[in-house]
Amino acid sequence: MLTAVKNQLWVCLLSVKYNIMREMTNRFTFVTNIVFMMLNNAAFIVQWVILFKMRGEIGGYTMREIMLLWGLTASSYGLSHILFARAFTLHELIVNGKLDAYLVLPKSVLLSVMTSASEASSIGDFLYGLVVMCLFCFSVGRLFLFLLFTVTGALIMTALALLAGSLSFWFVRSEMVGVHVVNTMISFSTYPDGIFHGTARFLLYFVIPVGMAVYWPVHVMVSFDLAMFLKVVGYTVFLMAAAVYVFYRGLKRYSSGNLMEARM
Amino acid sequence: MEAIRVQDLSKTFRVRQKEKGLKGSIRSVLHPRSEEIRAVDEVSFTVEEGEILAFIGPNGAGKSTTIKMLTGILYPDGGKLEVLGIDPTKRRKELAYQIGTVFGQKEQLWTHLTPYDNFRFFGAIYDIPEKETEARIKELGELFELGAFINTPVRGLSLGQRMRCEFAASLIHKPKVLFLDEPTIGLDPVVKETIRSLIKQMNRQLHTTIFLTSHDVGDIEKLCERIIIINAGSVVMDDSMEHLKDIHTSGMSLENMIVEIYKAEGRTVSV
Repeated sequence: MLTAVKNQLWVCLLSVKYNIMREMTNRFTFVTNIVFMMLNNAAFIVQWVILFKMRGEIGGYTMREIMLLWGLTASSYGLSHILFARAFTLHELIVNGKLDAYLVLPKSVLLSVMTSASEASSIGDFLYGLVVMCLFCFSVGRLFLFLLFTVTGALIMTALALLAGSLSFWFVRSEMVGVHVVNTMISFSTYPDGIFHGTARFLLYFVIPVGMAVYWPVHVMVSFDLAMFLKVVGYTVFLMAAAVYVFYRGLKRYSSGNLMEARM
Repeated sequence: MEAIRVQDLSKTFRVRQKEKGLKGSIRSVLHPRSEEIRAVDEVSFTVEEGEILAFIGPNGAGKSTTIKMLTGILYPDGGKLEVLGIDPTKRRKELAYQIGTVFGQKEQLWTHLTPYDNFRFFGAIYDIPEKETEARIKELGELFELGAFINTPVRGLSLGQRMRCEFAASLIHKPKVLFLDEPTIGLDPVVKETIRSLIKQMNRQLHTTIFLTSHDVGDIEKLCERIIIINAGSVVMDDSMEHLKDIHTSGMSLENMIVEIYKAEGRTVSV
């Protein structure tokens, strides 16, 4: 059992390594993708600097918390797209019958699919988050929590993408649902949760789980709360388990395809 | 001993129907219609260990659907199936260690990697120790004559070179059963001959069971001992090549005979 898990993890690591090697085929494009993604993210700092000059606090957040929010969102998004980029285009594989290559291998179909692509620009997102965290609110304990919440955030985003992508097993042209859900989550995760009330707040915590992926982790990093910490970890495990269950339920309905294709 | 046992295997696909034009699209949103297509209809057969079987039929006959159910890609709607005593629907991963697949129209290799790196990756997928993988790469490299291009990225190889690499990758773990779905499609006659002799050699040396689907009569004639013809989801003929060749000498070519059988859609044909 332990050997099987070790072998599976080794294959996942190799897969990610080969993905990054593919992204590095053109060194210039690879480096510029990363650098420009970091610059693109940094541009938003200006907007918040101006806003905080006008008001000392927005939705209970100061500049430090906002930077933590941005850093965690960027790093979580980055990590999810470095390791599991294919989860975000799962619908395409299902609709075009491209899961065959993964189904004939003696490894977990889901992990093989998820780790079969990486996005070079996401390395920029991941690094940007780390840099922002270190520049604006560094402490050893906070860095540890930041890295841990980057993992939980990445898993929540990936699980959400998997749940939305798996809809394609049942419904034709459902891919837009997935795209919208993930994009909505990213958009809302860059604003302080204190500005949302009532239904909006409910939606952000229970339907599009920005609260669990970003808001609560930021609260825990600012002022440690064990209960909140455990809820975030528990929710991540729950959502991932739900995503795995739905994917494998859907896989029984997979109808393959006869398109000519190459593994790019 | 039986390598494959299939009994009353069935698979139905639900296909959405749409009337033509914009009105048709609007109507299909309000009243979606779908049609059930029985791709495989209560198919039964067995394949002995070490046998080379041609599983053929016209386009849409249900060949690929059957092969995909046997390899664990698709779930059947009904019937029973076992490959090497394993049910692919229940123990897919366990079965995958013991079978190999080559789909002529679908590449399994990573195109940006060299064949060597691909083989190393496949070695890790099948949990083969590194030393053993190296030895196996050397062995397969010699068998398939990959030496000249084993370190060239796959995307830079010709189709023939690529197919030889696909074969080598599918054999890295010494599978007991090899499923070949149109393995010689698009290849020139010389490469086709090479691939055929390699399949034959592998079957003789390693006693590998070969389950082949192909539209190329040359593949069937030169490789197979037995032929199953499937049409409209049902088996319409199951006979030995020897018997067919006897008829062949009586005037009708194998290709013409197959065409005649294809035309007799849905009926059991005896020759």
